[in-house]
Amino acid sequence: MFEYLELAIDSAVNSGAKYSDARILISKSRNIAAKNGELENYNESEKIGIGIRALVGSSWGFYSTYDLSKPSLTNAGIKAFQIAKASSMVSGDDLPFADVPVVEDSYTTPHDENPFSISNTDQVDLLLRSTDEMKKLGSSRASGRLDFWDTEKWFSSSQGHRIYQNIIESGGGISSLAVGDGETQIRSYPQSFGEYRTGGWEVIKSFEFENHTERLAEESQRLLVAPQCPEGTMDLILEGSQLALQIHESVGHAIELDRILGWEAAYAGTSHLDLKKLNQHKYGSELMNIVADATLPGALATFKYDDEGTPAQRVDIVKEGIWTGVLSGRDSAAVAGVKPGGMVRADGFGRLPMVRMTNVGLLPGTSSLDEIIQSTENGVYMETNRSWSIDDLRLNFQFGCEVGWLVKNGKIIDMVKNPTYTGITPIFWGNMDMLASEEEWVFWGTPNCGKGQPSQIGHTGHPASPARFKDTRIGVRG
Amino acid sequence: MRIWDDLLDEVKENLPTAIECELKLLHSKSALTRFANSQIHQNVDEESAEIYLTIHKDSKTTTISNNITAIKDVGEFVSKALFSLEDSPIDKGWSGLPDKSNSYNGYKDLEESTPDDRAKVVKEFIDEGKSMNAAGYCSTYINNYFVWNSNGLHSSDSSSSAFIDGIFRTDTSAGSSHRGDQTLTSLEGSTAGFEAAQLATDSQNPVDIEPGKYEVVLGHEAVSTILVFLEVYGFNAKSKIDGMSPIIIGEQQFDEKINLVDTPEDPDSIGFKIDASGSKKLNLDVVSNGVPQSYFHTRRTANELGMKNTFHELFGWGENFGGIGTNVKLLSGDKSSEDMISDVKKGIYINEFWYCRVLDPITQVVTGLNRNGSFLVENGKITKPVGRLRFTQSFISALANGNVKSVGNHSRYSDSEFGEGILSVPQLHLKEFNFTGGVSG
Repeated sequence: MFEYLELAIDSAVNSGAKYSDARILISKSRNIAAKNGELENYNESEKIGIGIRALVGSSWGFYSTYDLSKPSLTNAGIKAFQIAKASSMVSGDDLPFADVPVVEDSYTTPHDENPFSISNTDQVDLLLRSTDEMKKLGSSRASGRLDFWDTEKWFSSSQGHRIYQNIIESGGGISSLAVGDGETQIRSYPQSFGEYRTGGWEVIKSFEFENHTERLAEESQRLLVAPQCPEGTMDLILEGSQLALQIHESVGHAIELDRILGWEAAYAGTSHLDLKKLNQHKYGSELMNIVADATLPGALATFKYDDEGTPAQRVDIVKEGIWTGVLSGRDSAAVAGVKPGGMVRADGFGRLPMVRMTNVGLLPGTSSLDEIIQSTENGVYMETNRSWSIDDLRLNFQFGCEVGWLVKNGKIIDMVKNPTYTGITPIFWGNMDMLASEEEWVFWGTPNCGKGQPSQIGHTGHPASPARFKDTRIGVRG
Repeated sequence: MRIWDDLLDEVKENLPTAIECELKLLHSKSALTRFANSQIHQNVDEESAEIYLTIHKDSKTTTISNNITAIKDVGEFVSKALFSLEDSPIDKGWSGLPDKSNSYNGYKDLEESTPDDRAKVVKEFIDEGKSMNAAGYCSTYINNYFVWNSNGLHSSDSSSSAFIDGIFRTDTSAGSSHRGDQTLTSLEGSTAGFEAAQLATDSQNPVDIEPGKYEVVLGHEAVSTILVFLEVYGFNAKSKIDGMSPIIIGEQQFDEKINLVDTPEDPDSIGFKIDASGSKKLNLDVVSNGVPQSYFHTRRTANELGMKNTFHELFGWGENFGGIGTNVKLLSGDKSSEDMISDVKKGIYINEFWYCRVLDPITQVVTGLNRNGSFLVENGKITKPVGRLRFTQSFISALANGNVKSVGNHSRYSDSEFGEGILSVPQLHLKEFNFTGGVSG
């Protein structure tokens, strides 16, 4: 494969590109969905192709094709150059590009059982059993899904990189929807839209769906008759997967260097962060320690090299509440004058690599969920995301969760429905006063992060444990 | 198209008899020129060819999909599907294949635009606001779609589309605009650029206003987002099956000024004339004088609900997503934008919504924010730009009977939260819209 890549790269460089790199991918996926004990969707897919980018002046040119014949590869290099060259009609200063070590290496995701070598009957049956059981227990719509990805990736650059990686990802989840009089309520496990990690079939086995079907069916129906979440300013306790999404939206996207530099302004938005305030800006309370770590074994955004050949690494993002780091690539890092963080990835061979969250997680504290609840006089404990919205600076957010639990004088006293909370990023994080320990720290994964134009779906990780936020506005309704 | 003809011949040779089969190919050439900080920084071009093979036998169904390069041997590809079929459970929802009479031949060789053509449109946009910071994209698409099934259907179609979308930013404001059409030559970058530049200039130094219920005039993009939510969560027949749709056919759920149609047959519509099953789409009344007339169906949803198929199956999603209209028009009214503003006593003009999410699909309560040009309107005049507001509002109630004061007299293709080129809408004047938070949360 490396010879194919180098044919295209040489063609781009010989045409006049300052730098060029390319990736050939063989991407396999298996997607299974079941509803009410019946198969809803089963799809196996395989795609092969090349994506090549060329840097000319101030712009990247990128071309991708499924055609791996030699004439096509030569043409791909020329096209990438020509596309970049066409940008000169509306150009700027030459784009700098940071150096990283040139390596020849390979990596395969550690896993016990490749999900593609497991009988699809076992996988389908797991979903049929789980959804059938929830349906029998009164669920209006019991659904489940499993997704597996096996991606082989060859990367070469005009600087001499030769990297092969085989990334294996597995995940899924189940949910029970209850339909009442003019309302729906849902409970999901392990989290809404499923939980995803790097690894094989063992990831799914660890979820033990069968131990959660009864609870999901019961809670979804009980929510229909539960009282509404109270309105007011009070303490908010977040379960880990909801906190993971809170990190994703109000920290992960805000620290993307391409957003901070305005490269995503039209679509994804920019950021409230100003590079001049790096190492000074107070992001949250002293309990807040965020790292972006692409080396965490088993987390969803774990790899050995990113799609620019930069080694995976751990970068401090927030230390004791102070903003200290960004998510960067070789171009954005060079523009901003920081070290490239190895955080550039693409959604398949047909997309231009861009800054992507790795495993952006909140380091654990010393408490426990039980202790947090016991020390709360008046608040709501919220579990599992149901809705999320945040402004284009990543400041003003509102989240809804599937279920809330009213906490009074250190005890959960009632289930409440339609729980929501809203806030402003630095104020909210500044109010975090309790954080559960490593024992409750989970590598939550988000498989559906949208960014870029053309649209790209990214897989990101967000390790988190439950936490408490004082004086939060709760119970916003339309 | 050669790759389709070759593929179809080989699949037919390798198929066993007495089996139901559907073969699809989507061949696409898509290109997007992206600009930020008033310069082109990313410029991409992609050619793809994706194949879907669905087979059904003995009440079992399976689908496998590969791109053309991943099919090294068509015989193996077919064998893989047959092997997968053996392990599949019973498919109770199988609703058969459309027959030969649904065939449609619309393939044509469409001309591609070049990176230089797109750069020219980008330059036209940026030139309208030279003192400001511009960002956005210009994109072009050519899609060719082929479907064959063992019931005798053989369909093809081709479509092209082009879009310019961008914002201008100042230190305190932003303004955006969008245009879409079938070809790049029909797009005027300068028109979109002028609108965006004007909005950015006029909305500098916004003031914060108290959240609460306000009268609103909604720009094209804001209207488009309301309608796309109602499409996906309401008029999608799969939502009805799942018990999550708020739409009730035949009931006066919307203001009588709301008339919604789906017009794939119209010559100015963007996209294919056939749906994923290869059947010709038909023009459809969706809402007439505020009364819902039809859901968007696929083969399976029509079968399950015992209703007539409307042929709105999406390519690539299989049956998972349900039916979606992709040529939806909100019919224009009689008010100009200026007239709508002059009718407002105290309200807000909103150009665009941002990051909208549903709190409960059946109530269609949605939260989101305003973006890229919002103004306070007092006594019929725009008095000042306003800052960021969060709304939490039922989109059903927003268009409910009595809440639509007027419908604009000019429609255009508008971007929406879920995509472009699928909705053509005018502006709307609504009596009440619920804002639940301001800049301070």
